[in-house]
Amino acid sequence: MHIMEGFLPSPWWEIWILISLPFVAIGLYQLNKLVRERRETLPLLAVAGAFVFVLSSLKIPSFNGSCSHPTGTGLGGILFGPCIAAVLGLIVLVFQAIFLAHGGITTLGANVFSMGIAGPAVAYLVYKAGTRAGANTYATVFIAAALADLVTYVVTAVQLALAFPGTVGFLGAFTAFAAIFAVTQVPLAIIEGAIIMLVFKYIVQLKPEILTRLNLLSESTVQKLREAAV
Amino acid sequence: MYEVLEDFAQTNNLRETSPGLKLFIGTASILLCVSSPGPVAPLLVAASMTAAVLALAKIPARFYAKLLLVPVSFSLMSIAAILFITAGGTVLLEVPDLPLAITADGANLALLLLARVFGGMCSLYFIALTTPMTEIFDILQRLRVPAVLIDLAMLTYRFIFILIEEAGQIYRSQVMRLGYGRFRESVRSFGMLAGALFIRTWESGEALMLAMDARCYDGRFGMPGETRPISVPALACGLFYLSAVLAVSLSTGGLVII
Repeated sequence: MHIMEGFLPSPWWEIWILISLPFVAIGLYQLNKLVRERRETLPLLAVAGAFVFVLSSLKIPSFNGSCSHPTGTGLGGILFGPCIAAVLGLIVLVFQAIFLAHGGITTLGANVFSMGIAGPAVAYLVYKAGTRAGANTYATVFIAAALADLVTYVVTAVQLALAFPGTVGFLGAFTAFAAIFAVTQVPLAIIEGAIIMLVFKYIVQLKPEILTRLNLLSESTVQKLREAAV
Repeated sequence: MYEVLEDFAQTNNLRETSPGLKLFIGTASILLCVSSPGPVAPLLVAASMTAAVLALAKIPARFYAKLLLVPVSFSLMSIAAILFITAGGTVLLEVPDLPLAITADGANLALLLLARVFGGMCSLYFIALTTPMTEIFDILQRLRVPAVLIDLAMLTYRFIFILIEEAGQIYRSQVMRLGYGRFRESVRSFGMLAGALFIRTWESGEALMLAMDARCYDGRFGMPGETRPISVPALACGLFYLSAVLAVSLSTGGLVII
């Protein structure tokens, strides 16, 4: 859920930029270190960023025929962790703002927080917890991606409700925004979870080296998953 | 769509104007839109940005109108919520049997937000349609944005075009094979598309790495910086326009900064 340019009034867009700033700074620091250690990370991160952009600009199939787009935040969070995902999110959101007028410059902070920080962080934590508990990999990916999507939209509703409490107060406003978004976002989260799960399945079947190199799956898990698929 | 936007950015009539000035006018207009307490100043920004895009940059009006329609659905949902949760003033419309009503205050706030969103969108498109991305990178570099961020952004930018092309090819061949006939199939096909795209992306990333290594990549990109001086009349026009918007904003209720 992108908040449009001009939608957040004055104290709030500055506040969200200040909140997002430290995450992006930590991400940049990690990125700098990674690039110095292993030079090949920069092109790989760049293609991942481009992938997220393209994925989010494609129309996703949805029940009610409305036009919806996947966020791709879950995948970024699972693959690279929340801080680097924040940097990728920042870049993707700037391009989306300038190319597509999705989001904007003043609302960049709020959007980076919901889509680049909160969503990926949840996906990352769920994925780590799931693999540690030894749960089914695909189920974990599905839950991680779907939850990342849901959290993104809940955070957006919180941001809007804080800025526009109206006369019903924060809670009332939050319920109103959440209810309106839920119509499109809950089915969307489920569909996106399924799609990211399929993406994961294809990677395991065709090019599992990517996942083992990023330390996401051990060789033995890949072996097990591939045997199960046959 | 993206290629077309970039084509216009490369060939429009304001191409030779200093990119710094265009970026400054665009962002300053956005800030004025957000800080204006009344809908007049944002609407003025929207009108003048549209005029600049159509008359000065000579972008076809039909194409520009189509662009403006893109984000409409995104904004309508949130505006609807605001319309109903803000009470106060006279009741304009009541939904029968539900505790929902549109009041004057809610309508005013919704109108203000629509005007701000519209003004902001026109300013964003002004930047997008007149300034090529490469020149924006150049400005960011001069503003001392960390080099690693700019390098990453430039590479990402380059790959977006390649990937969109590939995604389009995969999508078209899936449609030809009835991949989006039913809902279940379309989810499966979309997952297949995204998966195939990701793997191809990764492979082209690895290929790029080899190609860059072969050309002595040392972790930094060189950027050919060409500086175009800001012309004095253009700067004067820009400043005049911005102060006019500021004056309108001040005369219609002041400026809200925090």
